[in-house]
Amino acid sequence: MALSKLLLIGLALSTALAACGDGERASVTHRPAADAPAVYTVGAKVFGLDGGPARLASPPVTPLAGWLTPAAVPSADGRYLAYNAWRELRRDDPKLSWLDQGIEPGDALATPSIRLHDNLSGTDEVLAEGAFSLAWRADGALAYFRGAERDYRAGISYVGDVVVRPTPEAASEVWSSERGRYIVVGWAGPRLVAYSEQEGEALDVVVFDGPGRMRLLAPGSGLVAISPDGRQAFVEQGPSQGRPRVRVVSVATGRASAALDLTTVDPVVGTVGYSGDWRGDRVVASSASGLAVFRVERGKIALADSLRIAASSVAEPRFVDESGRHVKAWTSVRRGGVFLDCDFAIGACNRTMPLPETRGVHGFPAWRRPLYNPSRPLGTS
Amino acid sequence: MRLAAVALAAAAALLACAPSAAAANGWWTFNRNSNLNSTLSWKWTYPPSPAQYSHSWRAGSGSSTDECRRGEGWLPGGWYAQWGHWNHYGGSAVKGRVWWLQDKYCYDGITKRVELFIHSEETAENGQTCTSAWDDPTCWEREADYYSLGCIKLARPSPVANFPNDLGSAHSYYHGYGGSSEHGDLPNDAYELYVFS
Repeated sequence: MALSKLLLIGLALSTALAACGDGERASVTHRPAADAPAVYTVGAKVFGLDGGPARLASPPVTPLAGWLTPAAVPSADGRYLAYNAWRELRRDDPKLSWLDQGIEPGDALATPSIRLHDNLSGTDEVLAEGAFSLAWRADGALAYFRGAERDYRAGISYVGDVVVRPTPEAASEVWSSERGRYIVVGWAGPRLVAYSEQEGEALDVVVFDGPGRMRLLAPGSGLVAISPDGRQAFVEQGPSQGRPRVRVVSVATGRASAALDLTTVDPVVGTVGYSGDWRGDRVVASSASGLAVFRVERGKIALADSLRIAASSVAEPRFVDESGRHVKAWTSVRRGGVFLDCDFAIGACNRTMPLPETRGVHGFPAWRRPLYNPSRPLGTS
Repeated sequence: MRLAAVALAAAAALLACAPSAAAANGWWTFNRNSNLNSTLSWKWTYPPSPAQYSHSWRAGSGSSTDECRRGEGWLPGGWYAQWGHWNHYGGSAVKGRVWWLQDKYCYDGITKRVELFIHSEETAENGQTCTSAWDDPTCWEREADYYSLGCIKLARPSPVANFPNDLGSAHSYYHGYGGSSEHGDLPNDAYELYVFS
């Protein structure tokens, strides 16, 4: 009886949402949605893990990083999921100023943390409090940013260090030589790739060769992807940094081996964004109008394909297979995140919104995000 | 585009016989039209009169209209507290005459935009360093300089381009019509910014 009622409600919700006109398919089942990424989250629920769907202790979110880095990263062996959590210590209404909310300088607003979910045992524990953004190497080494203070405070830059643990159980070692605002992204072989953030959200891509050994890899740039062998990085620069362009740089030396001025290709591309994917000789990135796929050959980058997508913006595109023509990504609509399943062969994307009834924090739409490991080389992604 | 708008029909006449600027109460507003061409306004009143006066400048923000894209999206909508104003700010990426704004959640209620400023492209000494580079970060060379990583940007003249001195004008209006006369950290001062959605 109760089940029938739930099914009826689900059906009604699906029908109502389908009628709303966004065009995405709404899935109300608790099975992984077919058009969704291999591993994804809807609020605190995670689908696609070994062992089936799981409910995390907290939704994986990265308020201080957006999607510069994944919200959660599966371990290479698939047993664990390390993820970012955010505990608000007081409400911060985005419509109101801090002055109008009585938020004073130095007031503690939230505590970021990194948690570890064990798919086998079902345990879900804090790995580090006052920390966010993580990278997980194939051998189990885990890197993340750890704040100098536990709490994120009003009017105070959340500075700290990049630390590395050989295993989640091991003690951490500081790799940054000075405190700063870092966002950890991924391992490129033995080297760690991260952002150093300055005023105005200016981002430099930096590399850590080891403890106390940080180098500037690509100033004023975003990291699109690390090459499958971990030796190169595909980076982008937007129009606020000069002519929009993409480059392939050696992670070991910082030397650029190829570059492409985006003003010389199909203007539908315009600019490309960070957090894409690299498979074989192809790189996919979000573009001003949707998606762009580049072919990376020796000393050359060429635009291979582009796809217009009717969306405010597209984020975190990932190749589905080796063909380089099938990509999954996500975008936002009024009711929250929507997954895109895009086929360059037919030039279109299916949309799907798993668990449309799920609500996010403070009544906001739920975050729907792909969960993946951008480190390379790696057996899984 | 240089806007000199007055909120009420009678404002021009009122401005001509306005009381002293010290009695004014001011605030910023930002109308997001496009990344390259939006409008920053300084508005003020002379309490207890409700009449509003304003002066506006072309301003840019972000390189994407998705306010949740960190380092790319324009400034999120809502009210902002202003946390400081400097004439010679010497940051690594933001320099010169700047106003510092509070952090803000974007529309998803989760992603925080941080380290936000109103600024231009100038040196900490309010000068211009224009080299042969296509885009020098301390030189206002061209239209594309209105793009930002999320901040609000105002034009200023440089040796290589003849843009209006909007930064200087905004600075003058801010100090002359109801903004603070002080510089440095001004945590939670009364001079707020409203960004229209």
